[in-house]
Amino acid sequence: MPLPAKAFQRWLNGVAPDTSTADICRVSGVKRTTLAQQLVRGKVAETTVVSISRAYNLNPVAALATFDTYSDLASSSLPPSDKELVSQIATVDLLRAVIVRTAPTGSTGTGSTGTESMDPRQPELSPPPHATSVKNWVDAIDDGELRHRVSTATGVAPQNYSAQLTANRLAPELAVATSRAAGVGLAGGLVATGLVTEAEAGWPRGARQAALDRLSDGDLAALSGERLQALGKTLRRQEQDQEQTERIWENLV
Amino acid sequence: MSEILPWITLVVCAGAALARLPSAVRGVNPTLFFIFLLATAAGILSIEQFYVVIDGALGGINIAHVVLRLIVFATIYLIAVRVTKGFGAPDAHRMIAGRPGLAMLGIFAAALVTVFLLMDPGASSVRFRDAGAVSARNEALLPYYWAAARGYLAYVSLALLPALLRSVKESLPPLVRTGAALMAAGAVATVAGLCLEFAPTQLLVVAPAVNNGAVVFYTSGLILIWLARVKAASGGGHGTSSTER
Repeated sequence: MPLPAKAFQRWLNGVAPDTSTADICRVSGVKRTTLAQQLVRGKVAETTVVSISRAYNLNPVAALATFDTYSDLASSSLPPSDKELVSQIATVDLLRAVIVRTAPTGSTGTGSTGTESMDPRQPELSPPPHATSVKNWVDAIDDGELRHRVSTATGVAPQNYSAQLTANRLAPELAVATSRAAGVGLAGGLVATGLVTEAEAGWPRGARQAALDRLSDGDLAALSGERLQALGKTLRRQEQDQEQTERIWENLV
Repeated sequence: MSEILPWITLVVCAGAALARLPSAVRGVNPTLFFIFLLATAAGILSIEQFYVVIDGALGGINIAHVVLRLIVFATIYLIAVRVTKGFGAPDAHRMIAGRPGLAMLGIFAAALVTVFLLMDPGASSVRFRDAGAVSARNEALLPYYWAAARGYLAYVSLALLPALLRSVKESLPPLVRTGAALMAAGAVATVAGLCLEFAPTQLLVVAPAVNNGAVVFYTSGLILIWLARVKAASGGGHGTSSTER
């Protein structure tokens, strides 16, 4: 799935001609052993290309587009939909927005008057990815048949795909395939997985905040509720696992 | 090769017992220390030099071997009780520590002792190796002796296996799951050990490896689960902070 080493070497020659691997690693922060291993195996990870292109002031998405697997990234210029944008807002930020909207004006602060640095009306949204950003993103663009189409297009078994979403991961190639199958901007999945930033993917500055502002109070409350419910389920499952682990230890340690 | 295996088994079990000693003194699960102590005793009785001396003290007619098999019964019983409680398997717990389980233990122990008493006494021989050569009657009875000795272990292992495999698949800490997998491997090896008693003679060469492997798998599984606890305690948190933010 990752990029072929030969194509990578060719690309690297174009980006940083006459530069030693050691220098490239030093500038880009890629571990030298990691890169050497990827080259030996003939498969270079997308993250390596992203790190190197950032170091040389290139757009990572454009850099990925020079590889065959990702060639259509270049021609894609669909802007992200509001649903996609909102899916990349962390649950805590959504809840903060609920509080800001519902609190009567003037009593939004905690009452302490000394701190003026925080304006409760404009809390900075934390950058993607968040704890469930991959699954939320796929849910946001899913028309009900999306997972099925991705599975057919890529040959990845649905349960493996779901497992990646649950773990908040998605291989870059699958992320792009998902966008393609959903007919949305191709770089969206790369933002949701944290491979590239929203700016690098061409999302306008403040787009997420604007999409959040466009949500009606009802939609915001309903969406936050869904997120909280999912969070509750995850936490409960973790608590059960923890309980079971404790019981094992109680008896066997 | 088959000379070194019992030593490895002994070192692993004795090491585990020593490592559990401080906890046992503090009163934390002394049963576990006792389990490893029994396993160590079984390990000692599996080594020729020790066996001959101990059996000599018991009359030199291989009574030490029956004692060894009963120690092994006790060890696997205690492990199984802990495992079924820990891994939350009430059905398996009943099959081992409930009425049917205790009945099985009684039947196999009685069968073991009965078959031994029916045999002609022979000179001390570690692992009961030369018992069959004493008389034709012994040679005929020996398979039953081993069937009784390994049968109970296989029964308990089969009862444990579903619960262990289930735990491997669950989202528990990786070390705990690896531990459960090792114990499952121990259970499989135990059952294989019983099957090997009925296998053609060419296969018998692997029997020592399989039987010692079972002990090592069970023991190292328990050690890993313990290490998981040590790791979690030293790491501070509970290892479930992935939903933060």
